[in-house]
Amino acid sequence: MEFTLLFLATAVVMLAAWRGPRPLALGLFAAVLIACVATYLHHATDALKLSF
Amino acid sequence: MTQRHAITLNALSLYAVALVLAAAFAAQFSLHELPCPLCLLQRILFATLAIGPILNIRFGPRSSHYAISLLSAVAGAVASTRQVLLHILPGDAGYGSALLGYHYYSWALIGFVAAIVLLAAILLFDRQFADDGAALPTDGGAFAQVAVWLVIALTVANVTTTLLECGFGACADNPVVYELLKHAS
Repeated sequence: MEFTLLFLATAVVMLAAWRGPRPLALGLFAAVLIACVATYLHHATDALKLSF
Repeated sequence: MTQRHAITLNALSLYAVALVLAAAFAAQFSLHELPCPLCLLQRILFATLAIGPILNIRFGPRSSHYAISLLSAVAGAVASTRQVLLHILPGDAGYGSALLGYHYYSWALIGFVAAIVLLAAILLFDRQFADDGAALPTDGGAFAQVAVWLVIALTVANVTTTLLECGFGACADNPVVYELLKHAS
């Protein structure tokens, strides 16, 4: 469900960038990027069997 | 590079993003392979790459708009690198099919790194940020407008397919059926 919402939010940011005020688009983009990072951290829990 | 050239390049970059999203759909429907959660996140980050060019076309080129796309590209590169590392050990068959020898997440990593390099390259041209007095077409002209609406349409299409795939719960780690369609079939 979170991915559906992220796609929807991205589409909304695109529409805001194309038709809305610039500060709104920038603010919404920041929110979407933070949500993407949070989603990544939520899913990236498997340990990588690697050594560097 | 003038403002007009920069806007044309930004429109072309939107077509490139649209091509990536369309290619992902083509693989999904022709091979009947559903994208995993990390794959979906990479698609989302490809879509967010388009926000900077849309702002550049509407408000004129600004370094902050390119920075938006750079942040998206770096986040996408991190997500795709993680997926490459998950399947990098010898004997691991990887996730999904390979295209021209590379899995989709490897192509995604190449795409995000290429975006970072191209964004850095276009930032080298300072003249695009100065008003050169040229009369620019409203909203970038037809070529740019088609690019914007194409990328928005593909993102909205992803809303629908992701809802069908994941339903209203958490997306499966290794999805094989569309959650909302499995009772209908």
